[in-house]
Amino acid sequence: MTRLPVQPGEVLDRTKSLSFEWNGERLTAFEGDTIASAILANGNRILARSMKYHRPRGLLTADFWDPNAFVQVGDDPNVRSAHRLVENGMDVSAQNVWPSLDYDIKAANGVVGRFLTAGFYYKTFMKPAKLWPAYEKVLAQFAPGGKVDLTTPHMYHDKRYAHPDVLVAGGGPAGMAAALGAAESGAQVMLVEHNHHLGGSLLWGSDADRAAAAELAAAVTAHDNIEVLINSTVTGRYEDNWCSIAQRSHHIAVERLIKARAKMLVVAPGLIERPYVFAGNDKPGVMLSGAAQRLINMYAVKPGQRAVVFTANAHGDSTVADLERAGIDVARVVDARTGGNVVAAKGGSKSVEEVELGDGTTVEADLLITAIGWTAPTSLLNLAGDRPQYDPAAARFFSSQLPDNILVTGGIAGDGTTDQLVAHGRSTGQHAAARAEVVAATLQKLTTRAADYDGDVPSFPADNRQPLGRDPHPELFRSTTHGLVDYSEDVGSKDLFAAAKEGYDSVELIKRFTTATMGPAQGKLETVNTVAVLAEARGETIAEVGTTVWRPPYAPITLGALGGRIFEPVRVSSIQPWHEANRATPILAGQWVRPEHYGNPDAEVRNTRENVGIIDVTPLGKLDLRGADVPKLLSMLYTNKWMQLPVGGVRYGVMCAEDGVVMDDGVTGHIADDHYIMTTTSSGAGGVWEWAENWLQTEHPDWDVHITPVTTAFTSINVAGPKSRELVAKLTDVDLDPEAFKYMQVRTGTIAGVENCFMWRIGFTGELSYELHVPSGYGLHVWETLLAEGADLGIKAFGLEAQRIMRLEKGHFIVGQDTDGLTKMPSVGMNGLIKLDKDDFAGKAELADSINRTDLPKVVAIQTTDPTIVPFEASQIVRAGTNEIIGRITSSRMSPTLNRSICLGQVLPEAAEPGSTLTVVMTSGERVTAKVMEHHAHYDPEGSRLRI
Amino acid sequence: MTTFRQFMSSSSLSTVKDAGTSAIDSLKKAKSDPSKPPRYSAAGLLVKGAKSEEWPRVWREHDLKKSYDVVIIGGGVHGLATAYYLATNHGITNVAVLDKAYLGSGGSGRNTAIVRSNYLTPEGVAFYDRSLSLYNTMSSDLNLNVMFSERGHMTLAHTDSALRTMRWRAEVNKLQNINSSVIDPQEVKKLAPSLDVSPNTRYPIQGALYHPPGGTIRHDAVVWGYARGADHRGVEMHQQTEVLDIMVEGGEGPDGKGRGGKVTGVKTNRGDISAPIVVNCTAGWATLISDMAGVKLPINTHPLQAAVTEPVKVFLPTVVVSGSLHVYVSQTDRGELVFGASVDPFATYSMKGSLEFTEELAGHVLELMPNIGRMRLLRQWAGLCDMTPDYSPVMGFTPVEGFLCDVGWGTYGFKAGPVSGEQMAECIATQAVPKLIAPFELARFERGDLVGEKGAAAVGH
Repeated sequence: MTRLPVQPGEVLDRTKSLSFEWNGERLTAFEGDTIASAILANGNRILARSMKYHRPRGLLTADFWDPNAFVQVGDDPNVRSAHRLVENGMDVSAQNVWPSLDYDIKAANGVVGRFLTAGFYYKTFMKPAKLWPAYEKVLAQFAPGGKVDLTTPHMYHDKRYAHPDVLVAGGGPAGMAAALGAAESGAQVMLVEHNHHLGGSLLWGSDADRAAAAELAAAVTAHDNIEVLINSTVTGRYEDNWCSIAQRSHHIAVERLIKARAKMLVVAPGLIERPYVFAGNDKPGVMLSGAAQRLINMYAVKPGQRAVVFTANAHGDSTVADLERAGIDVARVVDARTGGNVVAAKGGSKSVEEVELGDGTTVEADLLITAIGWTAPTSLLNLAGDRPQYDPAAARFFSSQLPDNILVTGGIAGDGTTDQLVAHGRSTGQHAAARAEVVAATLQKLTTRAADYDGDVPSFPADNRQPLGRDPHPELFRSTTHGLVDYSEDVGSKDLFAAAKEGYDSVELIKRFTTATMGPAQGKLETVNTVAVLAEARGETIAEVGTTVWRPPYAPITLGALGGRIFEPVRVSSIQPWHEANRATPILAGQWVRPEHYGNPDAEVRNTRENVGIIDVTPLGKLDLRGADVPKLLSMLYTNKWMQLPVGGVRYGVMCAEDGVVMDDGVTGHIADDHYIMTTTSSGAGGVWEWAENWLQTEHPDWDVHITPVTTAFTSINVAGPKSRELVAKLTDVDLDPEAFKYMQVRTGTIAGVENCFMWRIGFTGELSYELHVPSGYGLHVWETLLAEGADLGIKAFGLEAQRIMRLEKGHFIVGQDTDGLTKMPSVGMNGLIKLDKDDFAGKAELADSINRTDLPKVVAIQTTDPTIVPFEASQIVRAGTNEIIGRITSSRMSPTLNRSICLGQVLPEAAEPGSTLTVVMTSGERVTAKVMEHHAHYDPEGSRLRI
Repeated sequence: MTTFRQFMSSSSLSTVKDAGTSAIDSLKKAKSDPSKPPRYSAAGLLVKGAKSEEWPRVWREHDLKKSYDVVIIGGGVHGLATAYYLATNHGITNVAVLDKAYLGSGGSGRNTAIVRSNYLTPEGVAFYDRSLSLYNTMSSDLNLNVMFSERGHMTLAHTDSALRTMRWRAEVNKLQNINSSVIDPQEVKKLAPSLDVSPNTRYPIQGALYHPPGGTIRHDAVVWGYARGADHRGVEMHQQTEVLDIMVEGGEGPDGKGRGGKVTGVKTNRGDISAPIVVNCTAGWATLISDMAGVKLPINTHPLQAAVTEPVKVFLPTVVVSGSLHVYVSQTDRGELVFGASVDPFATYSMKGSLEFTEELAGHVLELMPNIGRMRLLRQWAGLCDMTPDYSPVMGFTPVEGFLCDVGWGTYGFKAGPVSGEQMAECIATQAVPKLIAPFELARFERGDLVGEKGAAAVGH
C-alpha cells in the first residue's frame, strides 16, 4: 500500500511532514494523517492482533469505531489509531502481541479454535481445583488492551459548564444545518463533532458533496451564535438533558469534560456502517466501503491492488469509482440487490488472496469491500428512554418515543439527498430553537428564585417538518458461511449459534455468555449482527428478538477528564500557622488537619492537670440556631428536655437516630432570646446539620428556626486546668466569679480585645475549663495572647492526643469510637437523659422499648490487672477459656495522671457489673485479665475539679 | 418440628396433596433418570469440538404447569440456589423458578462479583464463611467453572477511626479462624503497586484489612451453574414469567391477604399456578412482591451504580475497597477495572446511571491510583438494592403461612447467594428456621432486635 498522489478531498497538509515510531521503526506522515492512515501509507497493512486467536488484523472501518486498530501511544493505552492524529515524535506500538506484531506465539490459539468456542472456559479447568489459579494466570495473559504506565503523572483537568439553548450532537450535513437553523432563529448553539472535521460522510463523497460540506462548515464556523467543538463527543444524556461532552480538542487538556444543560438536544450522529458476516471476514484486506472511501479520499492511501466490491447500496456503488480513480483494479462488483453474495475471503492469515462468491466462482483479490447497510447509533436516545424499533424494509432501527427535549435529524432519522438532509436539519434546528424557548419559559416559571415570569408558558409549536423518507435496503447480516460478529472479542456467528442452542438464547444472555458486544465499541458495530444471528438461530425476526440497552458513555472517556479536581479541600483552623511553627505533629481528622501533639502528649496532660493548657478545638461542629421555636427543635433532636433552658445556660445532649442508636452528642448554649449555639462532634458536624434541616424541612416547616453552620466562623479554644480562671480573667470583661459564672453556663463578651465572643464552662478534660469561641479572624491573636498572658502560669498548648487521654481518664465516651452503629442509648449509661414523657423526639419509640431491655451491651470503664499492659483498641473480650466474644476494648491509653493503663469498653450485661473479671485477648493472642470499674471516670469520678 | 412432607400432607388443599405426591414422584424420577446430561470437561470440549457436536441446553424450556410444590419468585442467584438445594439436599424437585425477564437479569448480573467473609460480627462471619466455602467448591459441585479467583481482598483505612474498625474486624475474624489481618501501607503497596501510599494524598492510606481468601467470581456463571444443576434435578426455570399477584386465603387484610393467611398460589402473565409454598427471592421489587401477599417489609429501594473501564494488561492483582472514598475496584481477567460505590442516597426504582457518579468515582479512583488517568471508562450501569434498617436481610417465614422471604439484601446479596439458598431450602424442607439464618427473621423488627453489620457496612465490599 502506498500514498496516492494528491486527492481532491484529502485532509492532509503535504507541506508539513511529521515523523513517528511504529514498533520501533521510524515512519513519516503528513499533518492531518491519522496514525492508521500513516502506517498504511508506509506500506503496512497489519495494525493489531485479535484478542483470543491473535489473528493479524487490518483496518475495517478506518474510523473511531474500528475494532482492529487499537495501539499504544507512549503511556496511553487503547488509542484508536484510525481516529487519533499523528503528532511529531509519537511512540506508537502494537498492543497485545508477543513477541511482535508479525510473529505472535499466541496465534497458535487459532489452530485449536474449534475447541475454544465462546464460553469454553465455563466448561473446563474445574479439576483439579488446585490448578485453577494457575489456569487463571494463563487466561489473564490473554487480557486484551494496552499497558498502564504507573509513572504517568496524576492528571486531572478542570471541567466546564455550558448552558446552550440547543446542543447538536453530530457535525454532518444535517447536524450543521440544524445548528444553522437554530442559530438563525436566535438560539445559542453548541455543535459537537466526533471527528476532526465537520462534514460527516460528505467528506469522503463526491466533489459536490465536499463543496456542500465546505459551504456549511464555513457558515457554521462564521455564525456568532454557534460554538463548534470538533474531535469532541456527546458521551451521555442524563435527566433533563444534562449532557456530558468529552472534548479531546482542548489546547491544553488531553481531554476535558464539558457538562451542558441543554434546553434542546438535537441528535445527528449519522449512521455507522455495519460489517458483513462471512468466512474470513476479519482477514486484512476485508474492509467496509466507508473505510476504503475515507482512506482514498481523505488520506490519499491506496488500500489494495485488486478489489472485489460487494454492494447493496449507492455508497457501495460509488466506492467502485473511487477505487478505480486510485488505480485499483476492480476485479468484480457483486450486487446484493440482484442476488449476488460473498461467501468467503480466503488466503493466508495476513491478507485476503481470493474471494469466493455466491455463484461458486472465485476471484483473485487482495481487497474485499463490503457495503451492506448501516446501524443507527441510537445510544443517546436509549439513554433518554427511547426503545428504537426495527424497520425491516430499511434494515435498521429507528427511534420510536423521544422526550420533548430531543429531536433527531440526518441518517438516524431517515434517508435523502444531501439537499433533503440539509433541509431536514435546518427545519429541525428551527424547531429546536422554538422548543428551547418554551423550555426556557417553563424553567423560568418553575424556578422560584428567577425573575417572575409573566403570563402563561407557551406550548410547544407544531412540528411541521417534512419528514425524511426511508430508502428500501436489503436485509444483509450473514452470508451462507460463518464469520466473525464481534471483532474485538473474537466472537463468531458459529459461537452465537452454539450459545443459542445451549439455551443462552435471549439477547442479554447471549451477550453475557459469549461476550459479544462487550468490547470497546460497545456494540456499535456488533449489536445488530448479534441480534440478527440470534434471530436466525431462533427462527424469529429481529424485532422479536429485540436489542440490548445501550449504556453510557457513548464513547469511552478518560478517568482523568471525569475525575477532574476533587473538591474536598483540607480544613485547618486560623491557628494553623502557630501549630506549624511550633512543630505540631499533624493528624488527619475527617476533613480537618489538626495538631495531634507538640512533642510529648504525656507532659501536655500533666501540665494541664497541674497548671493550665490550651487546645485548638475549632473542628468542633457549631450550628447557630435562631428563632422562637429553637427549643422545639432541640427537644426533637435530643433525648432530654430543652424547653426551660434559661439564657446563659448550657446543656449536654445525646442525639439518637430513629433506631435509638447514638448518632452524636455535644453541648448547646442559650446565648440570648431566640438564639442558641449547638456544638456537635467534629466528624458529625455535616451530618447533624443535614439531620436537623431534614426534620425542619420535611416534618416541621412551620417552625420558626433558622440554622447557620458556623463551625469555621468561630475559632474555638479550650482553656483547661486549675489556673484557667486566673488566665482567662486577664483577657476578658466577663465576670468569672464562680458564683456569677457557674459550670455549664455560657457568657458573651470581649476576649483579648475581640468583641462578640462567647465562652462556656464545660469539662471534657475533667478540669476547670473555659471554651472560648472567637471570630475566626482573631483566632490566632487570641491564642497568642493567651500564651503570652499565661507564661507566668505555666501555660502550654496541648494537642488532640492529650485531650483524648484526659477524656479517657474522665471516662467520657466518644461517639463512633466507644459506640458503634448499633449502640443504643441505654448502652452508654445515660438513661437519665432519656425523657420518655416528652411529646416526641427522634428515636423515642425505639428507646421506649430498649430502655427496659436487659440484653444490651454496656459501655464500662475497664482496668487491666497488670497496670503496665495497654490492650490495643479493638482487643476482644471473650468468655474465659473460650473464643466466644462478649465485648471489646473501645479506647485504651496509659494514663500519665494515674500511671496505669485505663480503658473503656463495651461488654455484654453478664460481664458489666462493677468488679467483674474480664479476659482480654491481646493482638498477640495472649490473654490478660481485667476488671470492670464502678464509674466511667478513672480519675475524679466526683467531678470536684470541674466545679471549683 | 414439621417436615416439608408432613406440611404438605397435612394441608387441606387438594392441589397441595397432588403436589406433594408429585414431589416424591419427581424425586424418584430424578434418581432413576437414565439420560444423565453430559458433564462439562476438557475432554468433553475436545470430543464435541472434534465431532462438531452441540451441547444440550443449559436449562430446558417447559410449559407452565398448573401446580408446583414450591414456586420461587426471582431467577437470580438466591432463587436458583434455593431451588438447587431444595432438589439436591432435600429431594424436592417439583419446583418452579419464575423470572419476569431472563435468569440473572437483576442484581445477580449487575453486581461487582466480590466475595469475602471478613465480617464484623460472629453471626456475619459464620454466615459468609459458609457462603465462601460453597463458592470455593462451586465449580466442581456444579460442574461449571464459575472462575472463583481467590485474589485477596483489601479494605483500606484512611483515618485513625477506620483503622480502629479494621483492627476490630481483624480481631473478631482471628477468633473465628478467618484469615484476616491489618497490614501497614508498605505491605499495601506490595500487594497493589498502583496504589499511592504516600502521605501526600488528600486521604493518606494508613493501613488496610487484608483478607487473602476473598476474591472475585464470574457472577453470570454462578447463575447458570445453579440453573443447570437445578434443571438436571427436575426443577423448572421459567423466564419472561412475571408474577402479577399472589393468592392468599384467610388473612386479616383485604382480599384475605396478610397476617394469618395461607398462600394458595400465584397469578402470572402466563397463567395461574397453585402452590402451597411461594418464596420471594427478588431484589429491587421485594416490597412490591411481598405486598401482593399482604406482607409489609421495612425496606427502601435504592440504586447502586457501577462502571467498567476498557481493558488493559493486568496490573491490579487484588480487590481494593476504600470506605472513606466510597469506592471498590478489582480488575477482571479480561483486564477491565470494575468499579462500584455506595448506594445512591435516594430511594427510586430507576436504573439510569448518573454523570455525577462517574465523576466522583473517577476522582476517588485517581486519589487511590493517580497514574491511571489515561484509562477510559467504557460503560456504567445501575442495579437496585433493597435496604433494611440494619443492613441485614429478611429471611424465612412471614405472617402468611407458606409465604417465605429471602430479601432485603442491600448491597450484599451476591456474596450470600449460595448459603442463602442452602439455608432457605432447609427452612422450606424442614419448616423450621435454621440456626444460621435465625437472626434474620422478619419478626426482629417488631422486637427491636436488629442485626449488627450496619456499623461497618458503609461500603461493605
